[in-house]
Amino acid sequence: MGTATDEKIEFDLKPDRPWVCVVWDDPVNLMSYVTHVFMVLFGFSREKATELMLKVHNEGRAVVTSGTREEMERDVQRLHEYGLWATLQRDNEL
Amino acid sequence: MSAFRRSDDGKLRAIFTSQESHVLINLTEQLLELLGEGASHASHEVDPFLHLVGFGANEAPPEDPVLRRLLPNAYEEDEAAAEFRRYTEHGLREKKRAHAMTIYEALIPQDEEWNADNPIDRGSIEVEIAPIQVMDWLSGLNDLRLALAVRLGIEKVDRRRESSDGPGVHQRYELMKESDPMKAVYAVYNWLGSIQQSLIESLDKN
Repeated sequence: MGTATDEKIEFDLKPDRPWVCVVWDDPVNLMSYVTHVFMVLFGFSREKATELMLKVHNEGRAVVTSGTREEMERDVQRLHEYGLWATLQRDNEL
Repeated sequence: MSAFRRSDDGKLRAIFTSQESHVLINLTEQLLELLGEGASHASHEVDPFLHLVGFGANEAPPEDPVLRRLLPNAYEEDEAAAEFRRYTEHGLREKKRAHAMTIYEALIPQDEEWNADNPIDRGSIEVEIAPIQVMDWLSGLNDLRLALAVRLGIEKVDRRRESSDGPGVHQRYELMKESDPMKAVYAVYNWLGSIQQSLIESLDKN
């Protein structure tokens, strides 16, 4: 009985490993368009959106948002709706 | 095409020539057709109820390279990607079709005798885009650019990294004779980008 309770507590306390949404570089999408999509979809400031766009452009990819798996699936889906190339993964896989 | 300008009512307006609007109408028609779930995905495999609530049954990425780019995997691992696609691809297609439809409806003439196979020259037309439609336009134009880029073989070619020892694929298109049909496709690809750019710039100008 005691063991079972302990296991349950351990399970409940296990942190929800955060997931991340990664945007990949795509030579077709205009830089101005990618920046605009980041601003509209995620409410980022122009400065933050531009910084992320440049990171994608220069480094080939960038983490744009993080959260639960469901939240990241939603973000990836929205990015796909707007033609950006995005995937989600566990934070520690990057 | 004139540059887009924002009026006091918030709407963006530009003048397209008749020929420009025909090109865009034809391209959006092709995109709408491509995004529609064709006979290759037999509908009997889809549970009618799941279909009703927006779930499709596709798990494998599309075979058509354009569709594969428009409907990409959400996970790098195939198994997770297939599972996600099963529940989301139908909705993604519908969203993209809605974006293309916004462009199509803004351009398609209302007069009854007009049809795309036998277009009547209407001279130039004024295109009007409401604030709520701007993202549809931007993303519809982007999907058309992605589709043409795949057909042109430039979807993975970064101009900045093209070899300096010889003409890269972009330069090859630029050096092509005007009579080459692919040269025209390349010109349309760039033109679609300039419409996107004009829309974004008109939004930025307050």
